[in-house]
Amino acid sequence: MRYLGLKTLAAGCLIAGIAVAQQSNISTLRMTDPLNDEMPPPMRPVEETGLRPARNYPEQPPIIPHDIEGYEVSANYNRCLSCHARAATQRSQAPMVSVTHYIDRHGQVLASVSPRRYFCNQCHVPQHPDVPLVNNTFIDIDTLLTMPEE
Amino acid sequence: MNLTRRDVLKSQAIAAASAAAGISAPAAAQNIVTERERTELQWNKAACRFCGTGCSVMVATRNGRVVATHGDAEAEVNRGLNCVKGYFLSKIMYGADRLTLPLLRKRNGVYDKTGDFEEVSWDEAFDVMAEKFKATLREKGPEAVGMFGSGQWTVWEGYAASKLYKAGFRSNNIDPNARHCMASAVAGFIRTFGIDEPMGCYDDFEHADAFVLWGANMAEMHPILWTRLTDRRLSAPHVRVAVLSTYHNRCYDLADLEMTFTPQTDLALLNAIARHIIKTGKVNTDFVDKHVNFKRGNPDIGYGLRPEHPLEQAAENPDAAGGFTDMTFEEFEEFLEPYTFEYAEELSGVPARRIEELAEIYADPDTKVMSLWTMGVNQHTRGVWVNNMIYNVHLLTGKIAEPGNSPFSLTGQPSACGTAREVGTFAHRLPADLVVANPEHRATAEKIWKLPEGTVPGWVGAHAVLQNRKLKDGEINAYWIQVNNNLQAAPNMLEETYPGYRNPENFIVVSDAYPTVTAQAADLVLPTAMWVEKEGAYGNAERRTQFWHELAPAPGEARSDLWQVMEFSKRFTTDEVWPAEILDAAPEYRGKTLFEVLYANGNVDAYDVAETEEYPNHESDHFGFYVQKGLFEEYARFGRGHAHDLADFDTYHQVRGLRWPVVDGQETRWRFREGYDPYVTEGAGWDFYGKPDGRANIFALPYEPPAESPDDEYPFWLVTGRVLEHWHSGSMTDRVPELHKAYPDAMVYMHPEDAASLGLHRGSAVKLTSRRGDMLTRVETRGRNRVPRGLIFVPWFDANQLINKLTLDATDPISKQTDFKKCACKVEAA
Amino acid sequence: MPEHHLSSLVVHAKPDALDDVSRRLEDEGCEIHARSEAGKLVVTLEAPHQRELSDALTRIQLLPGVLAATLVFHHVEEDEETQETPA
Repeated sequence: MRYLGLKTLAAGCLIAGIAVAQQSNISTLRMTDPLNDEMPPPMRPVEETGLRPARNYPEQPPIIPHDIEGYEVSANYNRCLSCHARAATQRSQAPMVSVTHYIDRHGQVLASVSPRRYFCNQCHVPQHPDVPLVNNTFIDIDTLLTMPEE
Repeated sequence: MNLTRRDVLKSQAIAAASAAAGISAPAAAQNIVTERERTELQWNKAACRFCGTGCSVMVATRNGRVVATHGDAEAEVNRGLNCVKGYFLSKIMYGADRLTLPLLRKRNGVYDKTGDFEEVSWDEAFDVMAEKFKATLREKGPEAVGMFGSGQWTVWEGYAASKLYKAGFRSNNIDPNARHCMASAVAGFIRTFGIDEPMGCYDDFEHADAFVLWGANMAEMHPILWTRLTDRRLSAPHVRVAVLSTYHNRCYDLADLEMTFTPQTDLALLNAIARHIIKTGKVNTDFVDKHVNFKRGNPDIGYGLRPEHPLEQAAENPDAAGGFTDMTFEEFEEFLEPYTFEYAEELSGVPARRIEELAEIYADPDTKVMSLWTMGVNQHTRGVWVNNMIYNVHLLTGKIAEPGNSPFSLTGQPSACGTAREVGTFAHRLPADLVVANPEHRATAEKIWKLPEGTVPGWVGAHAVLQNRKLKDGEINAYWIQVNNNLQAAPNMLEETYPGYRNPENFIVVSDAYPTVTAQAADLVLPTAMWVEKEGAYGNAERRTQFWHELAPAPGEARSDLWQVMEFSKRFTTDEVWPAEILDAAPEYRGKTLFEVLYANGNVDAYDVAETEEYPNHESDHFGFYVQKGLFEEYARFGRGHAHDLADFDTYHQVRGLRWPVVDGQETRWRFREGYDPYVTEGAGWDFYGKPDGRANIFALPYEPPAESPDDEYPFWLVTGRVLEHWHSGSMTDRVPELHKAYPDAMVYMHPEDAASLGLHRGSAVKLTSRRGDMLTRVETRGRNRVPRGLIFVPWFDANQLINKLTLDATDPISKQTDFKKCACKVEAA
Repeated sequence: MPEHHLSSLVVHAKPDALDDVSRRLEDEGCEIHARSEAGKLVVTLEAPHQRELSDALTRIQLLPGVLAATLVFHHVEEDEETQETPA
């Protein structure tokens, strides 16, 4: 698990705002020089928090807070819709797919989920319990509005 | 300050709780803001920063920051959709480690190749850089400077860089990373049609009755086009989808016909299909008689390795790889004779009846077929051939250049077409399909650029792989890399890439927004403005040119690639870089800076900076004229009236892109077809006007083995590629926490029985080794890719797993594009 | 191997009891990171054992002025993981 510690080290430098100058290694996504390798961390199952983190902005597709390994989504069957389709949500208590998903390419509202939205994992992804390699300083609009304008 | 993993976890914990509480940490906030002017966002369109699909996105900004992005409902390409990467565009500019000042390797206060990076001013950076470039030009001439650019350059950035090198430094050693990505497609177009880029467009998705994927994992790599294909397949029950690949990928989820073939045997499959079309009498003879010539391509053309390599020594035609001779239809039929379904099955492992089923899709005159391909075909030592051979089956049946009948070469990068190809930033090209080797083409460029005769050299510059070899060999010594991460991306990193970067004779400059592994291997790193931090234009795979405005300022002293190229040009005078004979013949150019002769030339500086008032524009404010408009309008002169017509600059800021040629304000959806393409001669029906006689070429090309195949010592095929959640080397997407956590580490996809036979299981630590290098990773036996026995797949996005240490620097000898899809390797427990 | 548990909670308190609740949370070993006028507090709580954490959560839920206390984030790992590493 030494590797994880090193990842954190990089994030630490950045969070602390220490200038990258004077350091021989600047490549923050890679913790060794290009010639030496470290064994990647063990594979971990996805987070099963069941919690729905706030989206960064309303248009962001929500992430999947549960494991989807082995889910079949093919021309014949869509496992995701077996819980998230409108008719299934009473039983599953899963969030219903957004109403945008019922709209076809021409802006017409359909009776069921539009085929163009059929493959869920093109937009929705589960999350592994991994510390991001580098912090992200994106500020959402609600936070931004509380900050003094420059 | 010391920061621990505990602190990082704690900040995550706080963020999660704050989100759950609806409190913005650390300051408390009301949970709804109702004053309209405070909540109003500015929305503008932009082209997505990632793949060649060219989705339009809407970008919301507030106080100089991007706060939201979503798919543009008005855009025909994507109609409101984005893929997961596109939806997270808002966060790509905000990695905490954005570069904000130039970094130079120094020791004791001066540049030293073995020194550590120190922050320096732009002045100091450019001083050292100019000194190195001038010394190289003085001592060794233009062939010793080089540049590696990108299909992610905006149109004007690629154009300005191309001018600086080809006309300013008089060096054609400029090549884009599109060489790794699209070069085989380009050569395929030029050989078959004489003009680059697809004849069809994305409208074909809604018209086709069948789709055939020839080595394109669209479900992951072109997700929005996959939504259009899925939409068509699920909405029209008669539509069929055939998926060909060397391993089972997500596209198979929609496949009616799946064909997993042995690497390299697509050549045999395509010949077997062509043979079937002829044998069953399904040739569209009227079309073939009027619009097609038959050619026999030179066989045994080598593998683009170093000339001393035994495979090159053994090859018959390594120096005439693109050559071909005339043949008749009958000779073509005879040539195909050995390619029975049974022979194709023997080579490919695909059952003969399935090959026949696929052949019937092409042969049936009532089935409109769209063929789609990208890297599986292009990253192939016979990639140009496979491109030619896909056109063969469309041309034999006349299924081309009309709605739904469409051989469609997909592009990898957002402006592989718009910048790399149309602007001609390749080592052999000039704008609008002109080439440096043609004296008339050079004269055209010199005239438009208002430069003296002989300024543009006629020698073909070094292509991507050759640049790396020349850096290693000390033949290119001053080198500039923009918008790409080539240390991670280029093949055979340990033997052919890294040595050149660290060669003490060389000075390596990397312009990037983030400190990549390529930056790490450089001597000077220039901090770069990205995406909507500058005004931009991209051209997508369906010939659609799209513009965006500068919407947010770049951090610190980061500057766009355009600013960097133009500002750097001020440090050179013509006397320093042009030979006496040019200046003697044109003395009025003496003593001028390259900036003056290339950019303040009466064309590029023709538009007033006042025109940019509505939006910020750092480059125009700095240089004193509307830089992007001037560059674009000068560039557009190359193509107008020559079947590459672009609309005027201002139009593109109003529309969601237009597909060239744009004639009389109308875009062209299907080229070469009467009724759609204004360049087609009336009454011709079809007109392949890229060729002098208006006829496209069908090529007789054989199956030939790959450069390296598995053997006892290295028993696995190694295939590399991308994943949906990450773009290329991950320098943007791996800095978005949601995308990183969606796919945190690369891994090797293995067949479970192969794993078991080596005593491995899912999650096992392994070392992958080829004849060139090794890498540590972990085994995945499930998941999105199910590989056949004897083959492994490793994605290359992960900076901690540099799979290109293993890959072979074999290229297609015609296109010089690397084959990243097949080499031999072994797997061992680590 | 010793463990380290790190958790975060949202504590919903009566707005007029915020100061009092905050003080009591600190006495429980919580760190308070944010609070809203509506009465929500973002706090973190660390402990070497799962049992201590759940006991503390129970006590917090029963504090006067607390309407609800919800565990949002819980992470456990082997203790060497969280040792200080010089940056």
